[in-house]
Amino acid sequence: MKLTIDRDRCEGYGLCAEAAPQLMHLDADGELVLDAPDVPTSAAVVAEEAVRVCPVAALKSR
Amino acid sequence: MATRTGGVTDRDHVVVVGASLAGTTFVDTLRRRGFGGRVTLVGAEPHAAYNRPALSKGVLAGTDDLADITLPPLSCEVDERIGTAAVALDQDRREIVLAGGDRIGYDRLAITTGARARRLADLGAADPGVDETTFRHLGDALALDRLLTARPHVLVVGAGILGMELASACLDRGSTVTLVDRQPPLHAQLGPYLADLLGAAAERRGARIAHDPGGVRLRATADGTPIAELADGRRFGGDLVLSAVGCLPEVEWLRSSGLSVEGGIAVDTRCRVSTTVVAAGDVAAFPTARGPRRTPLWNAALEQARTAAAALLDGDAAAPLVPDPLFWTEQFGLKVRVSGPMPAAGEPTVVEGDSPVDGGLLVGWPGEPGSAAAVNRRIPITRLRALARPENITT
Repeated sequence: MKLTIDRDRCEGYGLCAEAAPQLMHLDADGELVLDAPDVPTSAAVVAEEAVRVCPVAALKSR
Repeated sequence: MATRTGGVTDRDHVVVVGASLAGTTFVDTLRRRGFGGRVTLVGAEPHAAYNRPALSKGVLAGTDDLADITLPPLSCEVDERIGTAAVALDQDRREIVLAGGDRIGYDRLAITTGARARRLADLGAADPGVDETTFRHLGDALALDRLLTARPHVLVVGAGILGMELASACLDRGSTVTLVDRQPPLHAQLGPYLADLLGAAAERRGARIAHDPGGVRLRATADGTPIAELADGRRFGGDLVLSAVGCLPEVEWLRSSGLSVEGGIAVDTRCRVSTTVVAAGDVAAFPTARGPRRTPLWNAALEQARTAAAALLDGDAAAPLVPDPLFWTEQFGLKVRVSGPMPAAGEPTVVEGDSPVDGGLLVGWPGEPGSAAAVNRRIPITRLRALARPENITT
């Protein structure tokens, strides 16, 4: 599974980073950084939750 | 086979009725926590779960289609009955009844059916037979999107969060907009400070706003499009009239179940209704100091769904939910995000910034718990939450 951020949509809420801290974090400017855009199979469910909690549908998985 | 402290085993069948954010999060959490039994997810809407808040924003703006806002499909093992409404619950036989007559037996049931748009007719404030248009589902958004291409004059009844977002989107699409309500926009929802900020922004964008404490009534007319009449006699019409007067829990299917459904399905602090039933999301009424209350907000659906799943697995060993009120809106050029209870009374302390338009504002209302709001300012929820702690708001 691969995660991508739609930068035009992302508002930096950070709910995704709360759901999946092992995969992503917000930097000092509040910009989302994907630490593991290629999600290991073991973290797929957590990654999906991060995608689901985004209030503005900016985080996508495929 | 291990029996969990919640009493559920992997031989049990868990049925989830309602396949939007709360239902899918509930299933996801059960699986992530290792539940190995059978799970069936029943959803009335004919398509996959989607981000509902986007309907009044990107979908109406014409920038989003369904693919942009679809929530990720559940990749875990789950039997899905999507496009089929549940019509009844038989608690004695532990069965739900689907439209068409199929019955599904359960060992544990999660009620996540959400809410439907409330109508002025539900409030006894509409003439009999008035054709009332509401906004709740994807189909409503797509229909309104089409109508807006003709730039109609839009009358929005109800100046709450949804009504204001709809008004903003209609103005952005080149329509003219009148908003009517019993109160000035958003006062009951957000308190005077944020309400005045957003109300002023609405007027600057050209929205016409009228209110009367005596309320609004939807009157029938000869041509079919209703008009709104304030208690003081003022009448407002539009090519298009939208009711945005809140939502009601989707509980009609539970009328014969023996559950008390008025005001939502009352749950305990672990989102349990009984030993076999849990509820989460817009349909659930969570305990508060003022009695059970529904909190139809995105984050509440998430945290309640996770709590309900944990309660089903762990019973009393599950942590009770301490709600984390989070809320955001985007309207009339202002993006507002709030942490902490709303409405917030009185003037806040300005923490950072001096203009909502130029650089944005961070404000806080001291209290236990306090609230904090960011206006046109990107701030992570974690920071906003920290800001809402009383020690961080110095007066």
